[in-house]
Order: sequence, then C-alpha cells, then structure tokens
Amino acid sequence: MTEATGHVVEARGVSKWFGETTALDAVDFTVTPGVVHGLLGPNGAGKTTLLSALFGLVLPDEGTLRLFGRTRAEAGPGWLDGVAGFVETPRFYPYLSGRRNLAVLAGLDGGDAAALIDQALERTGLAGARGRKVKGYSLGMRQRLGLAAAMLRRPRLLILDEPTNGMDPAGIRDLRTALRQLARDGVTVVLSSHNMTQVEEICDAVTVLHRGKIAFAGRLDAMRADAPDPVWRLRTGDDGAALEQARRSAGVKAERHDDGGLVVFAAQDPMDEYVLTLARDGVAIRGLELDVTPLESLFFQLTGEAGQPGETRQTPAGLFIPPARPDNVPVTEEVP
Amino acid sequence: MTLAADQWPAYAEPAAGPAGPSDPRQRSGTLVVWRLELAKLRGQWRVRAIALMCLVGPFVIVAGLNVQSATPGDTAFGQWVHTSGFAIPMVILGFGGQWLLPVGTAVVAGDIFSSEDHFGTWKTILTRSRSRGELFAGKFLAALTFATATMVLLIITDLLAGLLAGTQPVVGLGGQLVTASHATELVVVSWLSVIPPVLGFTALAIFTSVASRNSAVGIGVPVVLTLAFQVVTLIALPAWGQQVLLSTPFTAWHGFWEQPAYVGPFLYGLLTSAVWFTLCSAAAWLVFRRRTIGGAS
Repeated sequence: MTEATGHVVEARGVSKWFGETTALDAVDFTVTPGVVHGLLGPNGAGKTTLLSALFGLVLPDEGTLRLFGRTRAEAGPGWLDGVAGFVETPRFYPYLSGRRNLAVLAGLDGGDAAALIDQALERTGLAGARGRKVKGYSLGMRQRLGLAAAMLRRPRLLILDEPTNGMDPAGIRDLRTALRQLARDGVTVVLSSHNMTQVEEICDAVTVLHRGKIAFAGRLDAMRADAPDPVWRLRTGDDGAALEQARRSAGVKAERHDDGGLVVFAAQDPMDEYVLTLARDGVAIRGLELDVTPLESLFFQLTGEAGQPGETRQTPAGLFIPPARPDNVPVTEEVP
Repeated sequence: MTLAADQWPAYAEPAAGPAGPSDPRQRSGTLVVWRLELAKLRGQWRVRAIALMCLVGPFVIVAGLNVQSATPGDTAFGQWVHTSGFAIPMVILGFGGQWLLPVGTAVVAGDIFSSEDHFGTWKTILTRSRSRGELFAGKFLAALTFATATMVLLIITDLLAGLLAGTQPVVGLGGQLVTASHATELVVVSWLSVIPPVLGFTALAIFTSVASRNSAVGIGVPVVLTLAFQVVTLIALPAWGQQVLLSTPFTAWHGFWEQPAYVGPFLYGLLTSAVWFTLCSAAAWLVFRRRTIGGAS
C-alpha cells in the first residue's frame, strides 16, 4: 500500500461518462487497509462502474485511481497483483466444468494458483459439482465459483460486487463470517450492495453513491450517529388507542399503514417505553417488528429513495420504505 | 453446501504475495494465454468437427470419386482425377481455396474474441494477472495456430488420400508431364502457398469479431466477403484491382504447375495477404485496447 496515504484504494476526482449518461461524477473514494468497506447505492448509482474502474475494465474519463498507492501507468502489468474479486455476476465458460474453469483462470494467474483449485472448490462447497459443466450451475453456485476463483489469487484486496446475490441464507451467513475473518487477517474487502442491512452486519466503513456522486463516506459508527430513528411495524388490538398514546409519548411518531397496523418512528428506548405503556393501558400487542433500521433510513434519505415526507411505498422486493424526514429530530406527532 | 469461513484465511495470506506477470519467474503472458486458448478450443465441438473434416474429408472425396466415372472437368486438374492421385489434392485446393478455407478459419477466428462477449467472461479474465495486450496477443496467436494447424493437417491428409488413389505422373497446367516426386513437392508447395491468404482471412475475422462483439458477425462477414470477392473477380477488374482482393492469392499456385513455372502471382499474393493481415490486426488491437468492458450499473 502507499506510504504517503495509507490507502489500499484511492480514487480522486474520478468521472466516467457513457454517452450522455454520467456514471461517475468527480468521485473521491478511499479504502483503508484491513477493513470491510461497503459501497452502497441504489441501482444505477455507479457502484459497478466504480468497481469496474478499479479492475481496469472501465477507463475513467477524468481523475486518478490508485491501488496499493500505484496508478495503472505506474504499476504496469502488475496493476492487479494481489487484487481479486468480481463485478456483476461472476461469469464463466458454460461448456467447461467448474474445475476446468478454475484451471483456465489459475493458468492466467500463474504461480501456485493451480494447486489451490481443489481446496478452493472444497471450501466454497462446490467439491461435489466440480466436474459439472457451469451451464448447469445455479446463480448461487456461480457466486461461490466466483469466490473460489478469487481465492486462487491469495488477495490482499478483495473486490466483490453484490456477492450475496442468489445465495441461500446459510451461504450469506458464512460469507459474512468469512469476510470478517479476512479483514481481521489484514485483507481489505470492498463490497457493493444495495442492501443496507447486510452492510450493517459486515462493514466497518461505507461509501454511499447516488447518481454517480458520493452521498456519504465514513465509518459506520459515524453514519449511525447521523442516522434517523428506525421504523417499526406495530399491530395492536386497538390502533386508535395506540395512535393516541403515540401522541403523548416523547420521541415516538406513529401513523396508520395502508395495509393495516401502524408505522412507528422511534429510537429503541422510547419504543420500549411506548410498548410497555400500551401494555399497561390494556392495548394488546399482536405484532412488532423492526421494519427499517436507522442506517436503512439514512440510506434512503441520502439516496432520495424515500419519496416525499409522509409518503410510504413498497420496493420491488417488498421492503417497506419510510417517508423521508428533513432532519433527525424525534417526532412526537402524527404527520397529517 | 456451506462456505467454510474459518478456512478462508489460509488463502488470504498477504505475505504469500501475489502471483502474476510482475513475477520474473513467470512465463510470458502471451504464451500462457495462447496455451489456455488452445485448451479452450479443444473443448469446442466446432473445432473438433473441423479437425474431423480435415482428417477424413479427403479420403471420403477419394472414395466418392472411385465410385463414379464423371470428373470435375471444369476445374484445374479435374480431368485427371482418375488417372493420377496427385490431381485430387489440387482439385480439393481449387474448391477449398474458393470458400472452404476462409470459412474454416473464420469459424474459429470470428468467434475467439466475441465468444467472451457472448459469455460475459471478459470481466472474468481481465481481472486476472494478464494485461489486455497479452490476452489479445495470446488469442490472436491461438487463432493463427488453429488456421495453420488445419492447413498442415489438410496438406498431410490430402497428399495421403491422393497417394492412396495412385502415384502415376500427372499432367501439369502447361501440358507437361510431372513426375511423382516432383508432383509431391508441387502439391505441398501449392498448399503452403495458400497459408498467407488464410492467415489474412484469420486476421479479418478477428477484426470483425473484436469490432462487432458478435460471433455471427465475426464469422459471417469474412464468409460474405469471400463470396463478394468471387463475384467481383467475374467483373473485368484491372490487374491491380484483382491483386488487392484477398481471394486472389488462393489461385497463385497455378503458376507453379505451368511450363515454365512462374511465381509472380504468388509474390503479389504474399504482399496482398500481408497488407490485409497487418491492417486487420492493427485495427483489431486499436478497437480492443480501449474497449470498455461492461461498467454501467
């Protein structure tokens, strides 16, 4: 890594245009060693373009990119030494087996990569499918094969674009654990996602991209400090009484949800107090779930995904998106 | 199947250092890519089919000629196919040079770059330890290797099939009788003389493959051009016009069989093939070197 800045990844003023479309707009992006750094943003934010630029797949129109302190021109053919990962869904030759595909990639890498193939397949849970042609692999299996291909390079910087796409819950859990372990061992991980919850569980730092620009960059704990209240879904035996109680409770804001029940905006402690008060008042709590975490709320605000204040909507995945709020001041009154 | 998370760190040992071309112990990246591309080609059914055709095709033609009395009299050496085995490889070359050889090389060269676009694998191989230049050169060499290997295979099988049919002297294009030993030499030299235009078509197919990112276009354009060249030769073109066509060098071997023999068309054909080869190769590289691979999210 660079002596001067201590950054594994350093992008300064990087811009990229595809015709009339601005994919990246003077992006500054830095990643410190040994962290798991999340790159967040809605679809079309520029995440994949930025990751592609790191791999040299996309050449920036403006700005400077450094990996381990070296520009591409300075590093020459060794630009990607110590770097592994994938952008978008990992793609392989469908007419070759999983093992044969890794053999081709190991051949390109040279060194002892070929000796690691079987272990990589074993450790990504693909040992049983090593002889099957990749055209028969599921999306999750291709993601795993992409991770196996990354393993062959003994990376010091691992760049993963939406790595949990198509993975089953157990695979996602194991990947999170594995990436945390990698970071503890000094490997720097950059991963993109549009899922704030996943990023919260795994990342030390985040950069939020929105329409090609940086909307937020910093440590996750700093982001938490700026985050608005979480959003809860509450189902009670008497929603009218619950709404009335919310008006009287400090730090709690509630409104009816179109699908029934209530949407409650409140930090953890005021929410606990509110629920206990409802119980004491004889209002049955039939369901309570955390719908949107504070960081998700902030993410939606940063990326303008929340719509207008007071407006609620459903994402394609069915995730409830809270109304945008102009600030982080606790609200105690229902928005008309 | 679960990811064995606790076993990842064994792979991620930073001290082990990266593998890659910056390591002086590594072999040339171009040769590495070339070898891997050949391995990939061996896994493709179309390559196997072409190899099989080269291997058995001449023998099938000999068998076919043996069971019929008619001869392809309107082609060079066609009238001698029943009297000398040396006429058979030359008839095959006469037919093959028209379109079979360009099509054969285009099937592989027109697909070798665009198949990566089709499968979306550029971003897989370009994120490894090889530069664009090495990947380009390795793939280019693999396509040239396939074209050359196919030609060498055809020379051998054509000659063997001809020898199987008979080793009698053959009548040359100048009416002279050519002895068996000299005919063997001329058959080999004639077939070797079409390798330069075949390589020219290989470069053309590579350029169309790179520029179009589409295998159908990569293969189809050289084939259509081959046919177009044939049509154009029917027009009364001036001599220089004929000489710039990439199809013309395929007939340069006629001069070897004349009495006296002459090599002018062959030398012109060599130059024409070299120009096509150079221009198409350079254009392909210029397109490829700054290409954006995916990127828009």
